Amino acid sequence: MSDRNREIHELLVDYADALRDGCIPAFLKSLTREEAERIASSWEFWDATEISRILNGVGFADKAVAPNVSLFISRVDAEIASRLKKSKASPPGKRRTRTRSAAKRENRT
Amino acid sequence: MDKRLRNALTGLTAKDAERRRRAMEPFVRATFGMFIKYLYRYLGNEVECEDVLEDVYADIWEKPERLRNITSEKQLLKTVYLYYMRNRLREVYRRINRNLYLSQNSLKDLIAPEIGALEMVSSSELQDILSQAMGKLKARERRAIELWMEGASNRAIANELKTTVGAVKMLEFRTILKLRKMLCYYNRED
Repeated sequence: MSDRNREIHELLVDYADALRDGCIPAFLKSLTREEAERIASSWEFWDATEISRILNGVGFADKAVAPNVSLFISRVDAEIASRLKKSKASPPGKRRTRTRSAAKRENRT
Repeated sequence: MDKRLRNALTGLTAKDAERRRRAMEPFVRATFGMFIKYLYRYLGNEVECEDVLEDVYADIWEKPERLRNITSEKQLLKTVYLYYMRNRLREVYRRINRNLYLSQNSLKDLIAPEIGALEMVSSSELQDILSQAMGKLKARERRAIELWMEGASNRAIANELKTTVGAVKMLEFRTILKLRKMLCYYNRED
């Protein structure tokens, strides 16, 4: 992804590779101003992204299914408990809408 | 729709917050696989998918109104994507966008797009129509896509097809556009 001024076909393939490899932020950061403009104005790129997502889903989505759903359920329950606590602690108008995991995610990116 | 899921949905749309919380476990058990596979299409990263989905389920618990009168799994997935997942997907890379050249709208379209013609087809149906479409590709085009779906790099695909990386990228791009045409045709036929 280090080439500069990539053509639209190279950009699409790099996007599809980034999606497959789970590193979309690296792709987004690699875009130059010209490449970003090229993407915005190319209908071929947008048409092809839909198929890239489908290929990614069909080929690799099974690996995202965690073997232990119970662990995930306890995470969801903890998130709900935290929101319940927040809603009881402060009036609705003053609540912060950003959640703990959203903040965690932002720190990571 | 599965009886377990229907019961969970009834509990989930109740007014009482505690009842909704109790209904969350069977709801997650019934939908986790479907939702996470769908999210994976957009993120390609299982850790991100779980983080987003955690927020999506908590949002559903907080504001379940959109899930009233759901009658099928397809309708459930569409509603959850449109009213819960998309908002969360848009937040995922919002912060890094300050340093990007991509406009906010293009980023939104890339990460959390409108539902396309094929986005709501179930994964088993998609697998079927994709394999039909792949059967109609030229051998070289099909091999390039198969290798990509096995996780091969462009260099490895170029070595296998005895060509250059640049030629492989062009071949993949043209094949993806060709597949789009074919898949839209199959979808319309259905």
